[in-house]
Amino acid sequence: MKYTPFFGCMLTVKYPWFEAAVRKTLGKVGLDLVDVDGFTCCPDPIYFQARDKMEWYTVAARNLSLAEDVGHDVITTCSGCTATLSEVNLALKEDEALKKEINERLKPIGRQFKGTINVRHAVTVLRDDYGLDHVAKTVTRPLEGLKVAVHYGCHLLKPSRVMRVDDPDRPTILDDLVRIAGAEPIRHDLTLLCCGRACMNDAIPNQMVTEILEAIKAKQADCMGLICPTCFDEFDLGQIVLGRKLKKTFDIPVVYYFQLLGVAQGFSPEEVGLNMHKVKVDHLFTPAPVR
Amino acid sequence: MSEKKNLPEPARHGINFAFREKLDAMAEGFRHNYCYQCGACVADCPAGLYSKTFNPRLIMLKAILGFEDELIGPDTEIWNCTNCYTCSERCPQDVRPVDVIIAMKNLCVKEGKAPDLVTTVSDTVFEAGITTKVTSLAERRRQELGLGPIKQYPVEDLKKITRRD
Repeated sequence: MKYTPFFGCMLTVKYPWFEAAVRKTLGKVGLDLVDVDGFTCCPDPIYFQARDKMEWYTVAARNLSLAEDVGHDVITTCSGCTATLSEVNLALKEDEALKKEINERLKPIGRQFKGTINVRHAVTVLRDDYGLDHVAKTVTRPLEGLKVAVHYGCHLLKPSRVMRVDDPDRPTILDDLVRIAGAEPIRHDLTLLCCGRACMNDAIPNQMVTEILEAIKAKQADCMGLICPTCFDEFDLGQIVLGRKLKKTFDIPVVYYFQLLGVAQGFSPEEVGLNMHKVKVDHLFTPAPVR
Repeated sequence: MSEKKNLPEPARHGINFAFREKLDAMAEGFRHNYCYQCGACVADCPAGLYSKTFNPRLIMLKAILGFEDELIGPDTEIWNCTNCYTCSERCPQDVRPVDVIIAMKNLCVKEGKAPDLVTTVSDTVFEAGITTKVTSLAERRRQELGLGPIKQYPVEDLKKITRRD
Protein backbone atom coordinates (compact mmCIF):
# COMPACT_ATOMS: atom_id res chain seq x y z
CA MET A 1 0.00 0.00 0.00
CA LYS A 2 1.09 3.57 -0.66
CA TYR A 3 1.61 6.18 2.07
CA THR A 4 3.10 9.63 2.34
CA PRO A 5 5.77 9.73 5.04
CA PHE A 6 6.12 12.88 7.15
CA PHE A 7 9.48 12.71 8.91
CA GLY A 8 9.50 16.21 10.39
CA CYS A 9 12.49 18.14 11.73
CA MET A 10 13.87 15.72 14.29
CA LEU A 11 14.13 12.64 12.07
CA THR A 12 15.31 14.52 8.99
CA VAL A 13 18.03 16.58 10.62
CA LYS A 14 18.79 15.48 14.16
CA TYR A 15 18.26 11.72 14.00
CA PRO A 16 18.52 10.75 10.31
CA TRP A 17 19.35 7.19 11.38
CA PHE A 18 15.79 6.95 12.69
CA GLU A 19 14.54 7.90 9.24
CA ALA A 20 16.82 5.24 7.77
CA ALA A 21 15.44 2.67 10.22
CA VAL A 22 11.84 3.61 9.37
CA ARG A 23 12.42 3.44 5.61
CA LYS A 24 14.24 0.10 5.83
CA THR A 25 11.80 -1.63 8.18
CA LEU A 26 8.60 -0.37 6.57
CA GLY A 27 10.01 -1.35 3.19
CA LYS A 28 10.49 -4.93 4.42
CA VAL A 29 6.91 -5.00 5.66
CA GLY A 30 5.77 -3.91 2.20
CA LEU A 31 4.80 -0.25 2.57
CA ASP A 32 5.39 1.90 -0.47
CA LEU A 33 6.51 5.32 0.80
CA VAL A 34 5.72 8.07 -1.69
CA ASP A 35 7.69 11.18 -0.69
CA VAL A 36 6.05 14.56 -1.14
CA ASP A 37 8.11 17.72 -1.69
CA GLY A 38 7.52 20.98 0.11
CA PHE A 39 6.68 19.99 3.69
CA THR A 40 7.80 22.35 6.45
CA CYS A 41 7.88 21.81 10.22
CA CYS A 42 4.57 20.17 11.19
CA PRO A 43 4.63 22.81 13.08
CA ASP A 44 5.80 22.04 16.60
CA PRO A 45 2.85 21.35 18.93
CA ILE A 46 4.41 22.97 21.99
CA TYR A 47 5.98 26.34 21.19
CA PHE A 48 4.53 27.07 17.79
CA GLN A 49 1.06 26.21 19.06
CA ALA A 50 1.69 28.29 22.19
CA ARG A 51 2.55 31.26 19.99
CA ASP A 52 -0.59 31.36 17.86
CA LYS A 53 -3.00 28.46 17.51
CA MET A 54 -4.63 29.82 14.34
CA GLU A 55 -1.25 29.98 12.61
CA TRP A 56 -0.45 26.53 13.94
CA TYR A 57 -3.60 25.27 12.20
CA THR A 58 -2.65 27.16 9.04
CA VAL A 59 0.90 25.85 8.67
CA ALA A 60 -0.22 22.29 9.42
CA ALA A 61 -3.11 22.62 6.95
CA ARG A 62 -0.62 23.67 4.29
CA ASN A 63 1.39 20.48 4.90
CA LEU A 64 -1.77 18.37 4.87
CA SER A 65 -2.97 19.94 1.62
CA LEU A 66 0.29 18.95 -0.09
CA ALA A 67 -0.32 15.36 0.97
CA GLU A 68 -3.98 15.57 -0.12
CA ASP A 69 -2.83 16.40 -3.66
CA VAL A 70 -1.11 13.02 -3.81
CA GLY A 71 -3.99 11.29 -2.04
CA HIS A 72 -2.33 8.76 0.26
CA ASP A 73 -2.66 8.71 4.05
CA VAL A 74 0.16 10.46 5.90
CA ILE A 75 2.27 8.34 8.20
CA THR A 76 4.11 10.03 11.02
CA THR A 77 7.12 8.73 12.90
CA CYS A 78 7.51 11.47 15.52
CA SER A 79 4.99 11.93 18.29
CA GLY A 80 5.13 15.72 17.90
CA CYS A 81 4.25 15.56 14.21
CA THR A 82 1.58 12.99 15.08
CA ALA A 83 0.07 15.37 17.65
CA THR A 84 0.00 18.37 15.33
CA LEU A 85 -1.07 16.77 12.07
CA SER A 86 -3.68 14.45 13.63
CA GLU A 87 -5.26 17.19 15.69
CA VAL A 88 -5.33 19.79 12.93
CA ASN A 89 -6.63 17.27 10.40
CA LEU A 90 -9.50 16.30 12.72
CA ALA A 91 -10.26 19.84 13.91
CA LEU A 92 -10.62 21.11 10.34
CA LYS A 93 -12.67 18.11 9.29
CA GLU A 94 -15.05 18.57 12.24
CA ASP A 95 -15.40 22.34 12.18
CA GLU A 96 -16.62 23.80 8.90
CA ALA A 97 -16.23 27.42 10.07
CA LEU A 98 -12.65 26.82 11.19
CA LYS A 99 -11.84 25.10 7.91
CA LYS A 100 -13.23 28.09 6.01
CA GLU A 101 -11.13 30.53 8.01
CA ILE A 102 -7.94 28.51 7.59
CA ASN A 103 -8.56 28.08 3.86
CA GLU A 104 -8.93 31.86 3.63
CA ARG A 105 -5.44 32.14 5.15
CA LEU A 106 -4.09 29.59 2.65
CA LYS A 107 -5.40 31.51 -0.36
CA PRO A 108 -2.25 33.63 -0.95
CA ILE A 109 -0.34 30.45 -1.82
CA GLY A 110 -3.22 28.89 -3.76
CA ARG A 111 -3.73 25.96 -1.39
CA GLN A 112 -6.87 24.50 0.20
CA PHE A 113 -7.41 21.98 2.98
CA LYS A 114 -10.03 19.52 1.78
CA GLY A 115 -10.09 16.88 4.51
CA THR A 116 -9.65 13.86 2.25
CA ILE A 117 -6.89 11.90 3.96
CA ASN A 118 -5.98 10.52 7.39
CA VAL A 119 -2.88 10.98 9.54
CA ARG A 120 -1.56 7.89 11.25
CA HIS A 121 1.48 6.99 13.29
CA ALA A 122 3.58 4.31 11.56
CA VAL A 123 3.06 1.79 14.39
CA THR A 124 -0.70 2.05 13.88
CA VAL A 125 -0.31 1.29 10.18
CA LEU A 126 1.78 -1.79 11.00
CA ARG A 127 -0.87 -3.10 13.38
CA ASP A 128 -4.02 -2.17 11.45
CA ASP A 129 -3.12 -2.31 7.75
CA TYR A 130 -0.62 -5.16 7.74
CA GLY A 131 -1.28 -7.01 10.98
CA LEU A 132 1.16 -8.04 13.68
CA ASP A 133 1.38 -11.57 12.24
CA HIS A 134 2.51 -10.22 8.89
CA VAL A 135 5.10 -7.93 10.51
CA ALA A 136 6.34 -10.88 12.58
CA LYS A 137 7.03 -12.78 9.34
CA THR A 138 9.60 -10.11 8.36
CA VAL A 139 11.63 -10.91 11.48
CA THR A 140 14.58 -13.11 10.61
CA ARG A 141 16.73 -12.58 13.68
CA PRO A 142 14.43 -12.49 16.72
CA LEU A 143 15.91 -10.52 19.61
CA GLU A 144 15.63 -13.42 21.99
CA GLY A 145 16.23 -12.62 25.62
CA LEU A 146 16.32 -8.84 25.12
CA LYS A 147 14.29 -7.08 27.80
CA VAL A 148 12.84 -3.81 26.52
CA ALA A 149 11.25 -1.34 28.93
CA VAL A 150 8.50 0.16 26.77
CA HIS A 151 7.81 3.89 26.97
CA TYR A 152 4.67 5.08 25.19
CA GLY A 153 5.10 8.84 25.58
CA CYS A 154 2.04 11.05 25.35
CA HIS A 155 1.11 11.88 21.79
CA LEU A 156 0.79 8.43 20.29
CA LEU A 157 -2.21 7.88 22.59
CA LYS A 158 -3.54 11.20 23.82
CA PRO A 159 -5.87 12.94 23.38
CA SER A 160 -7.61 9.64 22.54
CA ARG A 161 -10.52 11.60 21.02
CA VAL A 162 -8.04 12.60 18.30
CA MET A 163 -5.52 9.74 18.19
CA ARG A 164 -7.85 6.72 18.32
CA VAL A 165 -4.85 4.38 18.50
CA ASP A 166 -5.21 2.47 21.73
CA ASP A 167 -6.64 2.73 25.26
CA PRO A 168 -4.48 5.51 26.76
CA ASP A 169 -4.65 3.89 30.20
CA ARG A 170 -4.08 0.31 29.08
CA PRO A 171 -2.20 0.45 25.79
CA THR A 172 -0.70 -2.70 24.28
CA ILE A 173 0.48 -1.63 20.83
CA LEU A 174 4.15 -1.08 21.72
CA ASP A 175 4.35 -4.17 23.93
CA ASP A 176 2.93 -6.22 21.04
CA LEU A 177 5.38 -4.74 18.54
CA VAL A 178 8.34 -5.40 20.85
CA ARG A 179 7.13 -8.98 21.24
CA ILE A 180 6.97 -9.64 17.49
CA ALA A 181 10.60 -8.50 17.22
CA GLY A 182 11.33 -11.45 19.49
CA ALA A 183 12.12 -9.32 22.54
CA GLU A 184 10.39 -9.19 25.88
CA PRO A 185 8.44 -6.02 26.78
CA ILE A 186 9.00 -4.93 30.36
CA ARG A 187 6.56 -2.81 32.36
CA HIS A 188 7.32 -0.77 35.46
CA ASP A 189 5.25 1.52 37.68
CA LEU A 190 5.98 4.58 35.54
CA THR A 191 5.62 3.03 32.08
CA LEU A 192 2.92 5.52 31.10
CA LEU A 193 4.54 8.62 32.60
CA CYS A 194 5.38 11.52 30.30
CA CYS A 195 9.00 12.67 29.71
CA GLY A 196 8.17 16.19 30.89
CA ARG A 197 10.04 17.90 28.08
CA ALA A 198 7.46 20.67 27.62
CA CYS A 199 7.74 21.98 31.20
CA MET A 200 9.48 25.32 31.65
CA ASN A 201 10.78 24.40 35.11
CA ASP A 202 13.55 21.81 34.59
CA ALA A 203 13.11 20.37 38.06
CA ILE A 204 9.89 18.64 36.93
CA PRO A 205 11.27 16.67 33.94
CA ASN A 206 14.55 16.01 35.79
CA GLN A 207 12.66 14.25 38.55
CA MET A 208 10.44 12.37 36.09
CA VAL A 209 13.36 11.13 34.00
CA THR A 210 15.32 10.12 37.12
CA GLU A 211 12.41 8.10 38.52
CA ILE A 212 11.62 6.43 35.18
CA LEU A 213 15.27 5.42 34.67
CA GLU A 214 15.48 4.09 38.22
CA ALA A 215 12.25 2.11 37.74
CA ILE A 216 13.70 0.59 34.56
CA LYS A 217 16.92 -0.30 36.37
CA ALA A 218 14.98 -1.96 39.18
CA LYS A 219 13.27 -4.22 36.61
CA GLN A 220 16.66 -5.11 35.09
CA ALA A 221 15.59 -4.25 31.57
CA ASP A 222 18.38 -4.18 28.96
CA CYS A 223 17.17 -1.01 27.30
CA MET A 224 14.32 1.40 26.92
CA GLY A 225 12.16 1.17 23.76
CA LEU A 226 10.20 4.19 22.54
CA ILE A 227 8.69 5.80 19.44
CA CYS A 228 9.14 9.53 20.00
CA PRO A 229 12.34 11.44 19.11
CA THR A 230 11.65 14.04 21.80
CA CYS A 231 11.39 11.35 24.46
CA PHE A 232 14.58 9.90 22.96
CA ASP A 233 16.33 13.25 23.41
CA GLU A 234 15.14 13.45 26.98
CA PHE A 235 16.27 9.93 27.90
CA ASP A 236 19.44 9.49 25.83
CA LEU A 237 21.33 12.81 25.89
CA GLY A 238 19.15 13.91 28.83
CA GLN A 239 20.32 10.93 30.85
CA ILE A 240 23.97 11.95 30.43
CA VAL A 241 23.30 15.59 31.32
CA LEU A 242 21.22 14.60 34.32
CA GLY A 243 23.79 12.03 35.42
CA ARG A 244 26.47 14.73 35.50
CA LYS A 245 24.25 17.02 37.51
CA LEU A 246 23.34 14.30 40.02
CA LYS A 247 26.80 12.69 39.94
CA LYS A 248 25.40 9.27 39.08
CA THR A 249 25.40 6.89 36.14
CA PHE A 250 22.13 5.42 34.93
CA ASP A 251 23.54 3.52 31.94
CA ILE A 252 20.16 2.66 30.41
CA PRO A 253 20.45 2.38 26.61
CA VAL A 254 17.55 3.95 24.71
CA VAL A 255 16.27 2.53 21.41
CA TYR A 256 13.76 3.88 18.88
CA TYR A 257 11.32 1.08 18.04
CA PHE A 258 12.14 0.95 14.31
CA GLN A 259 15.81 0.39 15.12
CA LEU A 260 14.78 -2.61 17.19
CA LEU A 261 12.62 -3.96 14.39
CA GLY A 262 15.42 -3.28 11.91
CA VAL A 263 17.95 -5.42 13.75
CA ALA A 264 15.31 -8.14 14.12
CA GLN A 265 14.79 -7.99 10.35
CA GLY A 266 18.49 -8.62 9.82
CA PHE A 267 19.88 -5.10 9.34
CA SER A 268 23.17 -4.38 11.07
CA PRO A 269 23.18 -2.13 14.16
CA GLU A 270 25.10 0.49 12.12
CA GLU A 271 22.53 0.49 9.31
CA VAL A 272 19.90 1.70 11.77
CA GLY A 273 22.29 4.01 13.63
CA LEU A 274 22.60 2.13 16.90
CA ASN A 275 26.24 3.23 16.99
CA MET A 276 25.16 6.89 17.13
CA HIS A 277 23.55 7.05 20.58
CA LYS A 278 24.99 8.95 23.54
CA VAL A 279 24.36 6.02 25.88
CA LYS A 280 26.14 3.04 24.34
CA VAL A 281 23.66 0.55 22.98
CA ASP A 282 25.11 -1.38 20.00
CA HIS A 283 26.74 -3.98 22.27
CA LEU A 284 23.25 -5.35 22.98
CA PHE A 285 22.82 -6.24 19.33
CA THR A 286 26.27 -7.50 18.43
CA PRO A 287 26.72 -11.25 18.71
CA ALA A 288 29.10 -12.17 21.55
CA PRO A 289 32.62 -13.11 20.34
CA VAL A 290 33.32 -16.81 20.24
CA ARG A 291 35.59 -17.82 23.08
CA MET B 1 -5.18 44.85 53.98
CA SER B 2 -5.31 42.98 57.28
CA GLU B 3 -9.10 42.55 57.37
CA LYS B 4 -8.95 41.28 53.78
CA LYS B 5 -7.04 38.24 55.04
CA ASN B 6 -10.20 36.80 56.57
CA LEU B 7 -12.17 37.03 53.37
CA PRO B 8 -12.56 34.02 51.08
CA GLU B 9 -9.93 33.81 48.30
CA PRO B 10 -11.95 35.33 45.39
CA ALA B 11 -12.97 38.37 47.39
CA ARG B 12 -9.39 39.03 48.40
CA HIS B 13 -8.26 39.03 44.80
CA GLY B 14 -11.32 40.65 43.31
CA ILE B 15 -13.17 38.74 40.63
CA ASN B 16 -12.39 39.93 37.13
CA PHE B 17 -14.94 38.73 34.64
CA ALA B 18 -13.38 40.76 31.84
CA PHE B 19 -10.65 38.11 31.66
CA ARG B 20 -13.25 35.53 30.66
CA GLU B 21 -14.08 37.56 27.57
CA LYS B 22 -10.43 37.87 26.61
CA LEU B 23 -9.89 34.12 27.00
CA ASP B 24 -13.10 33.27 25.13
CA ALA B 25 -11.75 35.17 22.13
CA MET B 26 -8.74 32.84 21.83
CA ALA B 27 -9.06 29.52 19.94
CA GLU B 28 -10.43 26.87 22.36
CA GLY B 29 -10.29 29.36 25.24
CA PHE B 30 -14.08 29.32 25.80
CA ARG B 31 -13.84 25.76 27.09
CA HIS B 32 -12.84 26.92 30.57
CA ASN B 33 -16.49 27.95 31.06
CA TYR B 34 -17.49 24.28 31.12
CA CYS B 35 -15.38 23.54 34.22
CA TYR B 36 -17.38 22.67 37.34
CA GLN B 37 -14.29 22.14 39.51
CA CYS B 38 -14.67 18.40 40.09
CA GLY B 39 -10.89 17.89 40.19
CA ALA B 40 -10.82 14.78 37.97
CA CYS B 41 -7.92 16.40 36.11
CA VAL B 42 -5.68 16.60 39.17
CA ALA B 43 -4.74 13.11 40.33
CA ASP B 44 -2.94 11.85 37.21
CA CYS B 45 -1.45 15.17 36.10
CA PRO B 46 2.32 14.51 35.83
CA ALA B 47 3.26 18.18 36.32
CA GLY B 48 1.07 18.13 39.42
CA LEU B 49 2.70 14.95 40.71
CA TYR B 50 6.19 16.35 40.26
CA SER B 51 5.69 19.91 41.45
CA LYS B 52 4.13 21.33 44.56
CA THR B 53 2.36 24.13 42.74
CA PHE B 54 0.95 22.90 39.42
CA ASN B 55 -2.76 22.08 39.62
CA PRO B 56 -4.99 22.06 36.51
CA ARG B 57 -8.19 22.50 38.55
CA LEU B 58 -6.82 25.63 40.21
CA ILE B 59 -5.64 26.97 36.86
CA MET B 60 -9.19 26.58 35.51
CA LEU B 61 -10.61 28.23 38.67
CA LYS B 62 -8.25 31.16 38.34
CA ALA B 63 -9.34 31.52 34.70
CA ILE B 64 -13.02 31.52 35.67
CA LEU B 65 -12.47 34.10 38.41
CA GLY B 66 -10.12 36.14 36.24
CA PHE B 67 -6.97 36.02 38.38
CA GLU B 68 -5.13 37.29 35.37
CA ASP B 69 -1.83 38.15 37.05
CA GLU B 70 -1.41 34.57 38.21
CA LEU B 71 -1.94 33.19 34.71
CA ILE B 72 -0.73 35.66 32.10
CA GLY B 73 3.02 36.18 32.33
CA PRO B 74 6.33 34.62 31.28
CA ASP B 75 6.81 32.56 34.44
CA THR B 76 3.33 31.60 35.59
CA GLU B 77 2.31 28.00 36.31
CA ILE B 78 0.72 27.51 32.89
CA TRP B 79 4.21 27.14 31.37
CA ASN B 80 4.80 23.99 33.42
CA CYS B 81 2.02 22.06 31.68
CA THR B 82 3.60 18.97 30.07
CA ASN B 83 1.01 18.98 27.25
CA CYS B 84 0.39 15.28 27.95
CA TYR B 85 -3.42 15.55 27.64
CA THR B 86 -4.12 13.22 30.58
CA CYS B 87 -6.44 15.88 32.04
CA SER B 88 -8.37 15.94 28.78
CA GLU B 89 -8.84 12.17 29.11
CA ARG B 90 -10.22 12.52 32.65
CA CYS B 91 -12.41 15.61 32.25
CA PRO B 92 -16.16 14.77 32.26
CA GLN B 93 -17.02 18.22 30.92
CA ASP B 94 -14.81 18.24 27.81
CA VAL B 95 -12.97 21.30 29.11
CA ARG B 96 -9.74 20.01 27.56
CA PRO B 97 -7.57 21.85 30.11
CA VAL B 98 -4.42 21.60 27.94
CA ASP B 99 -6.24 23.45 25.17
CA VAL B 100 -7.41 26.14 27.59
CA ILE B 101 -3.82 26.48 28.85
CA ILE B 102 -2.64 26.80 25.22
CA ALA B 103 -5.27 29.55 24.70
CA MET B 104 -3.80 31.33 27.74
CA LYS B 105 -0.30 30.94 26.27
CA ASN B 106 -1.58 32.52 23.03
CA LEU B 107 -2.93 35.37 25.15
CA CYS B 108 0.50 35.78 26.80
CA VAL B 109 2.08 36.07 23.34
CA LYS B 110 -0.58 38.53 22.18
CA GLU B 111 0.09 40.75 25.19
CA GLY B 112 3.88 40.43 24.92
CA LYS B 113 4.12 38.47 28.16
CA ALA B 114 5.35 35.08 26.93
CA PRO B 115 8.76 33.56 27.74
CA ASP B 116 11.41 34.12 25.05
CA LEU B 117 11.60 30.42 24.18
CA VAL B 118 8.19 30.57 22.48
CA THR B 119 9.30 33.18 19.96
CA THR B 120 12.78 31.66 19.58
CA VAL B 121 11.41 28.31 18.44
CA SER B 122 8.69 29.68 16.17
CA ASP B 123 11.05 32.26 14.65
CA THR B 124 13.32 29.39 13.64
CA VAL B 125 10.38 27.84 11.78
CA PHE B 126 9.71 31.12 9.96
CA GLU B 127 13.38 31.57 9.07
CA ALA B 128 14.38 28.00 8.25
CA GLY B 129 11.09 26.15 7.71
CA ILE B 130 11.92 23.73 10.52
CA THR B 131 12.86 23.87 14.21
CA THR B 132 16.20 22.11 13.90
CA LYS B 133 19.19 23.76 12.27
CA VAL B 134 20.41 22.00 9.13
CA THR B 135 24.15 21.41 9.49
CA SER B 136 26.78 19.97 7.17
CA LEU B 137 27.14 17.14 9.70
CA ALA B 138 23.46 16.27 9.27
CA GLU B 139 23.91 16.25 5.50
CA ARG B 140 26.94 13.97 5.79
CA ARG B 141 25.16 11.56 8.12
CA ARG B 142 22.23 11.34 5.71
CA GLN B 143 24.60 10.55 2.88
CA GLU B 144 26.32 7.83 4.91
CA LEU B 145 22.92 6.28 5.65
CA GLY B 146 21.92 6.34 1.99
CA LEU B 147 19.24 9.01 2.53
CA GLY B 148 18.53 11.82 0.08
CA PRO B 149 19.78 15.38 0.68
CA ILE B 150 17.68 17.81 2.70
CA LYS B 151 15.54 19.80 0.29
CA GLN B 152 15.09 23.55 0.48
CA TYR B 153 12.24 24.44 2.83
CA PRO B 154 9.59 26.74 1.28
CA VAL B 155 10.02 29.58 3.75
CA GLU B 156 8.41 32.09 1.37
CA ASP B 157 5.14 30.16 1.56
CA LEU B 158 5.13 30.41 5.35
CA LYS B 159 5.61 34.17 5.16
CA LYS B 160 2.57 34.51 2.92
CA ILE B 161 0.21 32.61 5.22
CA THR B 162 1.31 33.99 8.59
CA ARG B 163 1.65 37.45 10.01
CA ARG B 164 5.19 38.41 10.93
CA ASP B 165 5.41 41.45 13.13
